[in-house]
Amino acid sequence: MKRFLTKWSISLFLVVGMTASMIAQKTISGTVTDAANGDALIGANVLVKGSGTGTITDIDGTYALKANEGDVLVFSYTGYVDQEITIGASATINVSLAAGQLLDEVVVVGYGTQKSKEVTSAVVSVSREEFNKGPISDAAQLLQGKVAGLQIYNRGGDPNRASTIRMRGISTVGANVEPLVVVDGIIGASLQNIDPNDIESMDVLKDGSAAAIYGSRGSSGVIIITTKKGKKGDVKVGYSGQFGVSSIRRSVQIMDAQEFVAAGGTNLGNTTDWVDAVTQSGQNQVHGVSVEGGMGKTSYRVSGNYRKVDGILQNTGFDQFNTRLNLNTKALNDKLSIDFNTSYTNKTQNFGFQEALRYAVLYNPTAPILGDDSPYPFASAQFGSYFESLGLFDAFNPVSIVNQNSNTGKRREFNYGANFGYSILDNLTANFRIAQQSNVSSTRAYYPTTSHFRGNATSPTRKGRADLYNDDFSFKLYEAYATHLSDFGKSNLTITGGYSYQQNNFSSTTIGLGDFPNNDIDFSNNIESSQDLRNAGFITLNSDASPDDKIIAFFGRANYSFDDAIFVNASVRREGSTKLGEGNQWGLFPSFGVGVDVNKYTQLANVDLLKVRVGYGVTGSLPRDNGLSKAIRVIENGADGSVTSKLSRAANPDLKWEEKAETNLGIEFKTGRFGAVLDLYNRDIKDFILNRTVDVAIFGVNNRFENAGQLNTKGIELALTYDVVKNSDFSYTTGVNFSTYKTVLDSYVIPQEMRAVLGAPGQNGTPMILVREGQEIGQIWGPVFTGVDDKGAPTFQDVNGDGVIVADADKGLEPNADFAVLGNGIPDFELGWTNNISYKGWNVNAFFRGAFGHSLVNTWRAFYEPRVSSQSSYNYVNTDLAVDGLTSARFSSLYVEKADFFKLDNLTISRNIGLGDFKGISNLNVSLTGQNLFVITGYTGADPEPSLFYNGATDNGGVETITNPDVLAPGIDSRNNYFSTRAVTLGINFNF
Amino acid sequence: MKSLKKYLVYPCILLMASACTDLEENLKGDITTDISIPGLPGGGGGTSDVLGAAFAGLRTGTANHGSYYSVQEITSDEMCIAAKGGDWFDGGILVELHRHTYTPGHTMIKDTWNNTYGAINTCNELLAGTSIDDNQRAQTRALRAYFYMRLLDLYGNVKIITTPGTDAPQSNRAAVFAFVESELLAALGVSEVTAGTDFSGSVLGTAVNAYRINTYSALGLLAKLYLNSEVYTGTPRFDKAAIAAGYVIDSGVYRLCGDGCKVPNLGKRPAVATDPVELEGYAAVFAPNNENNPEHIFSVFYDEVTGPDMNFSQMNLHYSSQFTYNFQNQPWNGYATLEEFYNSYEDGDARKKNNFLVGNQLDFGGSAILDYASDDDDIQLSYTPRINELAPNALRESGARGSKFSFKQLGRDNMSNDYPIVRLGELYLIRAEGLARAAGNWDLALPDVNAIRARAKVADLSSLTAESFLAERGREMFMEGVRRTDLIRLGKYNGTWWEKPASPAHVNIFPIPQSQIDAANGTLAQNPGY
Repeated sequence: MKRFLTKWSISLFLVVGMTASMIAQKTISGTVTDAANGDALIGANVLVKGSGTGTITDIDGTYALKANEGDVLVFSYTGYVDQEITIGASATINVSLAAGQLLDEVVVVGYGTQKSKEVTSAVVSVSREEFNKGPISDAAQLLQGKVAGLQIYNRGGDPNRASTIRMRGISTVGANVEPLVVVDGIIGASLQNIDPNDIESMDVLKDGSAAAIYGSRGSSGVIIITTKKGKKGDVKVGYSGQFGVSSIRRSVQIMDAQEFVAAGGTNLGNTTDWVDAVTQSGQNQVHGVSVEGGMGKTSYRVSGNYRKVDGILQNTGFDQFNTRLNLNTKALNDKLSIDFNTSYTNKTQNFGFQEALRYAVLYNPTAPILGDDSPYPFASAQFGSYFESLGLFDAFNPVSIVNQNSNTGKRREFNYGANFGYSILDNLTANFRIAQQSNVSSTRAYYPTTSHFRGNATSPTRKGRADLYNDDFSFKLYEAYATHLSDFGKSNLTITGGYSYQQNNFSSTTIGLGDFPNNDIDFSNNIESSQDLRNAGFITLNSDASPDDKIIAFFGRANYSFDDAIFVNASVRREGSTKLGEGNQWGLFPSFGVGVDVNKYTQLANVDLLKVRVGYGVTGSLPRDNGLSKAIRVIENGADGSVTSKLSRAANPDLKWEEKAETNLGIEFKTGRFGAVLDLYNRDIKDFILNRTVDVAIFGVNNRFENAGQLNTKGIELALTYDVVKNSDFSYTTGVNFSTYKTVLDSYVIPQEMRAVLGAPGQNGTPMILVREGQEIGQIWGPVFTGVDDKGAPTFQDVNGDGVIVADADKGLEPNADFAVLGNGIPDFELGWTNNISYKGWNVNAFFRGAFGHSLVNTWRAFYEPRVSSQSSYNYVNTDLAVDGLTSARFSSLYVEKADFFKLDNLTISRNIGLGDFKGISNLNVSLTGQNLFVITGYTGADPEPSLFYNGATDNGGVETITNPDVLAPGIDSRNNYFSTRAVTLGINFNF
Repeated sequence: MKSLKKYLVYPCILLMASACTDLEENLKGDITTDISIPGLPGGGGGTSDVLGAAFAGLRTGTANHGSYYSVQEITSDEMCIAAKGGDWFDGGILVELHRHTYTPGHTMIKDTWNNTYGAINTCNELLAGTSIDDNQRAQTRALRAYFYMRLLDLYGNVKIITTPGTDAPQSNRAAVFAFVESELLAALGVSEVTAGTDFSGSVLGTAVNAYRINTYSALGLLAKLYLNSEVYTGTPRFDKAAIAAGYVIDSGVYRLCGDGCKVPNLGKRPAVATDPVELEGYAAVFAPNNENNPEHIFSVFYDEVTGPDMNFSQMNLHYSSQFTYNFQNQPWNGYATLEEFYNSYEDGDARKKNNFLVGNQLDFGGSAILDYASDDDDIQLSYTPRINELAPNALRESGARGSKFSFKQLGRDNMSNDYPIVRLGELYLIRAEGLARAAGNWDLALPDVNAIRARAKVADLSSLTAESFLAERGREMFMEGVRRTDLIRLGKYNGTWWEKPASPAHVNIFPIPQSQIDAANGTLAQNPGY
């Protein structure tokens, strides 16, 4: 294998080398400038048409090359319209380029860029101007709703929880479901280590043919981020600031004390609004300063950004400082270009306890905050003066949770990347890239001896608890590739080939122990005081280190264009990962695409663009964990010092690549003010990797990882833009993007199963989501509520009409079950609608977003809405959907709600303020942004946004684990979600 | 070409050398190969072998919630889990066990299957290796036979796998019985059990260690197997059950723990005078410090640190009973006894006092425990023998709570009481039933039954019927995970009791878990009736 690969890559280079040729006649020189302002354009391409020779402009925008009289020079520059000039007698040709139109926009693709019209796959480029505004905690939020088919949701808006990102829905079951992020060419770079202020543009590779060059990690789409670079010239200093406040837009509808008592709740004599008691007005501020400039052949940009966010739940938020340096220079007679960037992020997080929101909803509204206000004798001191309902399962005083306990973290991310580009020949460049990234995070939680919530305050002796966690992730990337351009009259051919090596390493340590003397200090910083050290059985310790997780690839790509109207792109990547079974480690990821500028031949009246493209590509999905093909054992330490082991997961040496093959048909159309892009796609994911149930009698343990099935997704995406009014003083542009898809489980090793249980109290045996071969994924499956019987229990529909009602939660898969599809967790379609109005210095941007056709299981209602007498010490959820007389909590259609919504996601009004003769600052822009200003929905819960995965049910003070989200179980609005928020933000930008 | 090599290939070679295409995965944080290191002789648990992981397989599910213990107990008339609103409704699976309406998707029936085969695999791996001597090999075979005996009893028709990683066709119940019998006989080194069989030559030996299997443990297991032979095979072998049990009783190696057999009461509250200082007799057999009890022949080693997974305190008690015992964590308020079963004990029965918590509950200092979230009339925590209903709204303080495996002060979620699989008290009952039913004369059971009753401080019986014998067996064996098997053997499992209608005969064998049938690609057939 090794030999084959080496041969393969060397012969590719050979082809590249042999096509090089050198012809030299007369020297032509000149300057390339921006037509708008006369600034020099650095790095503009100057090519002798048809010859394959060319050069690029230097730091002053000048160029020089050899060519014949009569040759045509083609001047091109990213984002500008090409110009062609025939060489005459003069040896000087100065050119000014105008900013580009749709056709000539450049998009970033893997290992290079392409002109928009040459692209044969579904790629969407989103520039800084189009980003979402307002309080942005992570870079993904900039894109929310902007790209048809890219779903980004941050349910509720916990500032410390990253957004969920899905490209065209579910792309894999047990592997990396989030798109691959590539930052300035660095594959897999962290989204957390880029401040949103430093991003110039984001290119989203939606389909398989574009992503295939990234091979094993491209299945969930690719987001390519380009950071801002320095521009040559005088030093420019810019400031951008933001100040905002946020409030709860909607929480769960519950009873107040009066209503609760009237409904038969246990009266403890007080009136407490628990939600109010644990929430606050959120605040956020951002300060960003950037300095850019350049001298000689070097340009730079340095930026520092500070973000501080306080969430709507007390004691939640973060504080982040990020700094970034981008440096670009040239050496060796401009043949060598060096691009260096480095970034450091220091984030201090106050995670707080999202659980406090949950307990605030369900806590008895007549209970006092403080124990001294209890109607009964209460040992307040034992609980830090707070009241607690000690005899009740899953109930903790939310104010005590927020005020007594701490849960904080630190995160430091550092990375650097250097790219060395060398022009070996005018039409042949070689690139070598080296990058490293290191993320270190630690979290500490302390529950004092007086905290009932996890602090064990009820224990006579063993009180208090400290949890400590550290992890360390690092990667290094080495890549080398070469690009060769050749020109044969009407044909152009660009060939790229290279090698990539990436190694990831991860290690972690978890420590949990308790029994602390008192609360004089936060004993998570002094764990040696723990009495548990005398009692080893109480201590939780875990440590882990990944193997050297390597990804090695050889890749090549050819872009061919004919007549500047027919474009063919083909690529292949052969990639290996340590994660799969021996003999199955290498995968082949090819792609092929054709695009035709139809209008060049049809020349339809009033049509500016009509392009048809078809792409096909294969990508993979790497499993999240290591060692999946191997048998894993656990140790049994005997009391006598013996050590033995037993199997915990069976081996599967045949485990192979999960592959996604995707075909995308796209049509791009533009006429006058109207533009449209339509994409249709079909994708097949085969051999998805899942830990599945196996015959325990044979394997000795009931699970191992297998290639477990096949998914098919078909979808349509449409993006429309229309310039309603366009003149120099006033313009109004509107754009709509629309997407829909359907994912079917084509085959599965298990004919059917149910997943995602509702949870405690009492519904641990109640799964809600059906996974059945041949059917759509995301089906919510349960009995159909018809009414209430005389005992207050729900009655259900005899769905199959056999006269017997089979509605027990665990019987959903029985042939005679009276279960039905109650909804689907995945939207039928999603919509983003942008409106941009400019009037003189004013700009109004209104962005509406909606999702339609999805349902959510409102778990709050399912647990707490029925007036269950034995639950009369919990508050009751109280929506319009509450059914009188229902006194028993059982999952059914009653709790599955349509969650269609349409909202004004983002409204920004901004103004460029003229400063007249004032010299201190320039380019002053002030903006006001509102987020979530209104939401139209029939959903009664806190947030109608789709829930795309299930994180497990937690209860009774348990800790939610978010490591293995179940993507086969969307549609559950769990009790661990934050409340949705509304925010208003004032932004100021200016240059010094 | 040269320049290309220089710029592209050399850096790769320089930086990564042969690592250029090396994808060997060397796991650092996971264990992939078997580790077996014997312990120190005389160490805790009294063992010094490499059988730890195999015997640890007994701990899983035997005395905690969710698998073997649950399906054996709450399908019976001695234990239930009532739904208290949403709490403990669990989608109806507990009600299904109580009413015998369980189906192949039942998670506890599935987990029991998986745990048992997992334990069998650990035995198979040991037997496939060469690290154990003949005695250990015989012990491991006997232990594996016991796990198969559980499968035989629960599921009937199962695959008999003896080599790790291989498949075998599904055997019928009689064949599984024959396999278990032959394995136990082989471990004992005999070809059959008859009145005169000499077991002294068994490689299992007679050294007393309840955490491992000696000759008496194996005979105890055989006695249990033969006792149920008629259910498993259609052929009764009560005589053999009586012989096997009798051999152990008559050996004199073990004795019933009666007067003078006592341990300190680790649950004692100094401020509560009625808490005894010591636990004596029946209570001592199940106490948290019951290691080395003379009645224990073969037991599961449980320890709050080194042998977790016994959770009775959590499973049975109300949240606020935490304050009686100073438990480290709040209990879960799940399992309770059926009122009728509780009432089957007469008041003087030492077992009644030991086995149940009822009435007003006092905290460590002797004060009433208050429950502000109480759903009955008063706020003092008080367990009532009566349970108002099985579902959906049982009162949270209803039901007498099982305290047979008694609790200790400062107890953890994981208890330290050893759990008997074979104990002398049960062997008396097996001999009694074996003799009686082999001869068709219940009078033959009286001496052994009265020996058990005497230890419980209740008067001798003068006559017995199948029904009164079953009741006596119930009182003695409460919470020992045998009630379902006993009800089936004595023909009562399909009858009616509180909140339980009559059930069809096919439910006497559990369904094979659907997930395993699905995973087995047609090699497992479902039991009849499901």
